[in-house]
Amino acid sequence: MSQSEPVIEIRNLSKIYRDFWGRPKVRALNSLSLDVRKGEVFGLLGPNGSGKTTTLKLLLGLLFPTEGEITILGKSAADVSKNERIGYLPEESYLYRFLNAYETLDFYGRLFNMTAAQRKERSEKLLDLVKLAPQARRRQLKEYSKGMTRRIGVAQALINDPDLVMLDEPTSGLDPLGSRDMKDLILDLKKQGKTVLMCSHLLADVQDVCDRIAILYGGELKVMDRVDTLLKSEDKTQINTSKLSAAAISEVEAVLKRHGASDVSVDHPTATLEDLFLKTVQESRDRPGHRNVADRTSAT
Amino acid sequence: MYFDPAENFIYPPYAIYNWMIVAGFFTAVVLVVSLLTLLVSKGSSGFGVFFTELIGMLKDVFSLSPRRIWALTRLTFMEAYRRKALAVFVVFGLLFMFAGWFMGDSKEIQPDQVKVYISFVLTAVSWLTLPVVLILACFGIPEDIRLRSIHTVVTKPARRIEIVLGRMIGVSMIGWLVLSVMSVVGYLWIVRQIPQASQELLKCRVPIYGLVSFKDREGNYGKEGINVGDIWAFRSYIEGATKSRAEWRFFNVDETMLDSEGNLRLENSFSAFRSYKGDMTRPLFYDIKLFNIEHPEISYTTQPQPVNEFRSKQDIIPRKVTVDDVQYDILNDLTTKGSDKVPKGILGIEVACIDRDQYIGMARSDLFIRMPDRPFWVGYWKAIFGTALTVLLVSMIGVAASTMVKAPIAAVLTAVMYILSGKNPHQFMDQLVAGQVQGGGVLESVYRLVMHLGPSTELPANPAFTVVQIFDSILMNFLWLCKQVIPRSQYFNMPEYVANGFDVPWATSLIPSLLVTSAFIIPCVMMGYFALRTRELESK
Ligand SMILES: Nc1ncnc2c1ncn2[C@@H]1O[C@H](COP(=O)(O)OP(=O)(O)OP(=O)(O)O)[C@@H](O)[C@H]1O
Ligand SMILES: [Mg+2]
Repeated sequence: MSQSEPVIEIRNLSKIYRDFWGRPKVRALNSLSLDVRKGEVFGLLGPNGSGKTTTLKLLLGLLFPTEGEITILGKSAADVSKNERIGYLPEESYLYRFLNAYETLDFYGRLFNMTAAQRKERSEKLLDLVKLAPQARRRQLKEYSKGMTRRIGVAQALINDPDLVMLDEPTSGLDPLGSRDMKDLILDLKKQGKTVLMCSHLLADVQDVCDRIAILYGGELKVMDRVDTLLKSEDKTQINTSKLSAAAISEVEAVLKRHGASDVSVDHPTATLEDLFLKTVQESRDRPGHRNVADRTSAT
Repeated sequence: MYFDPAENFIYPPYAIYNWMIVAGFFTAVVLVVSLLTLLVSKGSSGFGVFFTELIGMLKDVFSLSPRRIWALTRLTFMEAYRRKALAVFVVFGLLFMFAGWFMGDSKEIQPDQVKVYISFVLTAVSWLTLPVVLILACFGIPEDIRLRSIHTVVTKPARRIEIVLGRMIGVSMIGWLVLSVMSVVGYLWIVRQIPQASQELLKCRVPIYGLVSFKDREGNYGKEGINVGDIWAFRSYIEGATKSRAEWRFFNVDETMLDSEGNLRLENSFSAFRSYKGDMTRPLFYDIKLFNIEHPEISYTTQPQPVNEFRSKQDIIPRKVTVDDVQYDILNDLTTKGSDKVPKGILGIEVACIDRDQYIGMARSDLFIRMPDRPFWVGYWKAIFGTALTVLLVSMIGVAASTMVKAPIAAVLTAVMYILSGKNPHQFMDQLVAGQVQGGGVLESVYRLVMHLGPSTELPANPAFTVVQIFDSILMNFLWLCKQVIPRSQYFNMPEYVANGFDVPWATSLIPSLLVTSAFIIPCVMMGYFALRTRELESK
């Protein structure tokens, strides 16, 4: 991936939630700076309450920053016209529960000033894409299961064929098959040259689809770099092959031992991002203030 | 309550003035409140935000998208429909079935009963529609914020102003739908409830009012006639067999005011006051003199006519009348010809009481030229139009209020505003603001209550009391401001005209109420815009 223009620029962003009387209640974000570049899939990780959703809401102008600057698609977060090119899937699908799937997509399509023909065509396409069962499409959303709601939520986020897609925990509530589909969908978006910013807890998902990640802890940025860089361990070598017989394995082990390898284990590869995540969280607890953030220019 | 249709006479220029006051003041109030809120919440940077948003609003106004507004309107509509808000129809249906039983079905009915029927329908229609509108207007946006479905709307290119407008239009349209179904049913109900024989009681009289002045028993003009201590205090009384007269002037009298037979129809609703009880079954008598105000000797006086107490009475004057063998044309000879000093077409009419020591009472609206009637449905639908405007007003104020405060508070605010818009609260506020209410301002009255002082006791001039007075005067100014902002539903009293058998006049009722309603559009939309733009749309 080449060094391309930033789609989102966040500089020293802080957010303090206040109560009715204006007294500070929670410091949800503390001096966050990051860029998301065109065409990449960027993952925002962090434990519960670390400020991921807050970041997305600030980017969308749903919340107002206490401090700091946001540029999104070259515009300010408060500018409504930026939304023409943005798709947003909220944490929970806050849709209108009395509408059915077609009506929902039709409604959001109208908000983009799409014509009736465009809306119809796009709705069909999206409902197929998110694999919402055809017999469910004419039922009101209040009767939907969590996964179905998630699917229609994704469909509404893509109604305008956005350049920048922001997904807040896209796989939550989806079955393994659904998660797989979702990951394929995200990769597909990337292939189409779209920029994706997503939050997730499911590290395996993030590892599969994200180019770069940032880990937040307590509203602070702790780690930010390319996923492959972060997961590459200089002092380990991993060998993947097709399935070997037990005899072959012991033979390979013997060869490795002869070359001086210690701690040989032959196993299925593990989700090592989980290790990184746990390590980061643990470290942040132990050593507040510590950061492992790649230099912005070198992380291409 | 006695209905005085002439009392609401408002010069159309005044209605425009009123429009400017409401629109101007309310807009100014909205701007000031928005600025203050921003300054309080954001400190000195509030200024910048205020002007940015102001400019942003203007930009949004010029790039409104009808399709987006319509999408939001439809959404409001479907929400109400799917959430069964229209169940109000059932209540309405039941009400009418039961009312039908209780109101009975006789072969012939009295005019007063017709009035009851019409009032019942028009009142039921508006009292069932307005609460629905109030609830829908006040709960729509707060629920959207509480459930955060608004997040999926504001992250689309939908402008805040479009959200506000979509809601207002959607709620109004639901109100209008409810209203039109109900009013069609109501209309059919009235027509069916009234027996064939009494159908002619359903009518819309079109009155032309004049200006009245009174002459006392010596024949001198006074401001008013005699007050006999009657409950209809607004009526003045003329004494029988003296020079006491009530004198009307009607303007622009011409052929159009004659009925189909070419006669001038005068209608009166005089009341009688007896200073001695003689034969109670014998009516009091009056006569009417039509005269040319420039040449009072050119006149025509009717035969003595009995006063129809509690009922209106018509006097039909033929166009050509003969007085002492001279024939007059009442339009050509009894009205003014028009000159530098006197405009053309003024007709003078003088009413005298004939019985000695008896009195006949009348007010300005108690004598009018009755133009050809209009069909009942004309007035009925005009009255419904008035209610439709109220629906619009309530939905605009409700939606605007609901963008700032929680739904129940918005509902209460809107309801209070609606109630205060009535005639009596407005009159009271007028008096209060003009300092005509005894006992002083709010704090002063409390002070008097606590100290057991009567409303007219002179108060000591001490510093504490000065503070009380300053506080009261601030409150007074605030009240004055509120008074400008609260709509005058006095213009919206169309049902009363119709119930009393009158047509609803454009100049003094429909146009002013249209103006009042339109005056609220700008400030209400502005209020909604500012609130939604400067608030974080998180449920708290
Ligand atoms: N509306 C709000 N008012 C007050 N505090 C809030 C509000 N929303 C979030 N917070 C606080 O801000 C902090 C960050 O919350 P945020 O929702 O951004 O976390 P998150 O990373 O998305 O967590 P999760 O993984 O659980 O979704 C939390 O401490 C939360 O309590
Ligand atoms: Mg979250």
